[in-house]
Amino acid sequence: MASKHTLAVIAALIIAVVSIFVALSFGAAPSKFIDVYHSISGQGHDSFIERIIWQLRMPRTLLAFLAGSGLAIAGLILQTVTRNPLADPYLFGISSGASFGVVCFITITGVSAGITMSAAAFVGSLVTMLLLVFIAGRTGRGQVETMLLAGVALSFLFSAFTSLLLYFSDPQAITAILFWTLGSFARAQWTTLWLPALVILSCTAVMMGFRRQLNAMLLGDESAVTLGIPVQRFRLLMLILSSLITAVLVAMCGGIGFVGLMIPHIVRFFVSQGTPSGLMMTALVGGTFMVWVDVLSRILLANQELPIGVITSAIGSVFFLSLLYFRKRES
Amino acid sequence: MHTPDATAPPLLKVTNLSWSVASTAILQDIDFAIKAGQFIGLLGPNGAGKSSLLRCLYRYSKPQSGEVQFAGRNIWQLSADDYAKQVAVVLQEAPSQFNLSVYDVVSLGLTPHKSLFSATTKADQQVVLQAIEQVGLSHHLTQNFDSLSGGEKQRALIARSIVQGPKLLIMDEPTSHLDIKYQIQLMELAKSLNLTILASFHDLNLAASMCDQLLVLKQGQLVASGTPEQVITEKMLSDVFGVCAEVSQHPQSQQLQKAIPRITYFYGYQAGVNNGK
Repeated sequence: MASKHTLAVIAALIIAVVSIFVALSFGAAPSKFIDVYHSISGQGHDSFIERIIWQLRMPRTLLAFLAGSGLAIAGLILQTVTRNPLADPYLFGISSGASFGVVCFITITGVSAGITMSAAAFVGSLVTMLLLVFIAGRTGRGQVETMLLAGVALSFLFSAFTSLLLYFSDPQAITAILFWTLGSFARAQWTTLWLPALVILSCTAVMMGFRRQLNAMLLGDESAVTLGIPVQRFRLLMLILSSLITAVLVAMCGGIGFVGLMIPHIVRFFVSQGTPSGLMMTALVGGTFMVWVDVLSRILLANQELPIGVITSAIGSVFFLSLLYFRKRES
Repeated sequence: MHTPDATAPPLLKVTNLSWSVASTAILQDIDFAIKAGQFIGLLGPNGAGKSSLLRCLYRYSKPQSGEVQFAGRNIWQLSADDYAKQVAVVLQEAPSQFNLSVYDVVSLGLTPHKSLFSATTKADQQVVLQAIEQVGLSHHLTQNFDSLSGGEKQRALIARSIVQGPKLLIMDEPTSHLDIKYQIQLMELAKSLNLTILASFHDLNLAASMCDQLLVLKQGQLVASGTPEQVITEKMLSDVFGVCAEVSQHPQSQQLQKAIPRITYFYGYQAGVNNGK
């Protein structure tokens, strides 16, 4: 049994690595696999195309992979600790908080680009997260319901503030915020990549450590208590970790919907999340999916980039619906 | 089955336990003790506080006053993991929509025994597989837990508590919603584990035939305790459960060499028709 799962993880890992390499050869400037190979193996970054691959496409593709796996993991964790199959990293108002931060920033400074805007988004989502943790931390029984309802309420609250600010600001800010909410990996750079990498890897490591406790949460709060888990504190910790992942990703790439909701369900169709490999598979599938979405966003329209969020939602929902349909027919 | 030793200290001791929610007393001054090796049945009508009492025993609720001791120590002074290694609980709750297999659910019993990041060893796997075999679910190993029948789910949860390796097994209405065949099967499985068991029951006849000792709750108070023969009386059934019934000897009493009371309920008396005795 264990070996079968290990094989699946290894296969997913190979597919992920191959996907990243193949993805590097796609883009506006024509390139071949050999260019990718040269660029990565460091045999001189002389040619123009090799520099494009190393300086632009590589950080971008890595960010896409990180974002996909981070959102998928965060979604899986939130679905697990709330025992709600509809939970998703954005359900708890994190992206609304980020949008609000961005709009505030644009309104105050008039600047609508750069790393400071990401910082503003990060601050916005952190504020939302702290509010949510504060509310959920104060309730004892019924923590799940409080968390979900407070998350949705916060989400609406920040959306209202955002709309209000946008109503009084100029069209440029509205365009900027629209692009923000649709998501893009265009801002990826080697110099900032370490932050999402660090956050996602360390949070995922902690979650891997707690995988038994996470599965035990699925049995219900009472059963989890009888297995020795401090349920309320544990749920708060997981909420903080997944919010942290989401906040960093929203700040770097804007809002990318549907991945956090859908990937865990797709993986769950094939691999039981109770197995040690369940979490790994979710991360790998999420990352690989996002790498290909990014490729599509770059090549679907010539000399133009489609927003990531549009593609994830479009592909994701069709794929998910067909999976549901065929699964129903099978059983 | 080893016989309860009269001199041994109790495994679980409840003293003056009271628990209330928003100043409504749910449990009042409960006192009892359970000796190792006993099978204890907890009885009482709906709302008497059976589940609340069990929750206080498995540390889901903290009583406002009184004390619960396990093997001579206050249960709130033990660490959560240590307590989970001693006391396993089978509840009605079950996962849904999350595609856990029977193996996954049973292996959750390892949780209190494993530190973070520790891998599941071959020996652990063996323990899990053996527990699954013990409850007769080996052929459902990789099946989705949700697709099991009610009785099979309960058996899988019992297998999970076997993996936990406890001294005491607490069960909250393990037999409700089960067909009578599976009620008996499940209880005999539980008895065969040679653990100390505390279970709440709806079916008084089943409790009377399975348990060594019975506890009866009424409106949050412990109103009777003792052997089934002492506890199951016509007066108790009328006072606590509000039913008219006749208590006789179960025909198997002699064969099993213990007094098993059998309850025969009468009907129609509430409408003023007494067709009983």
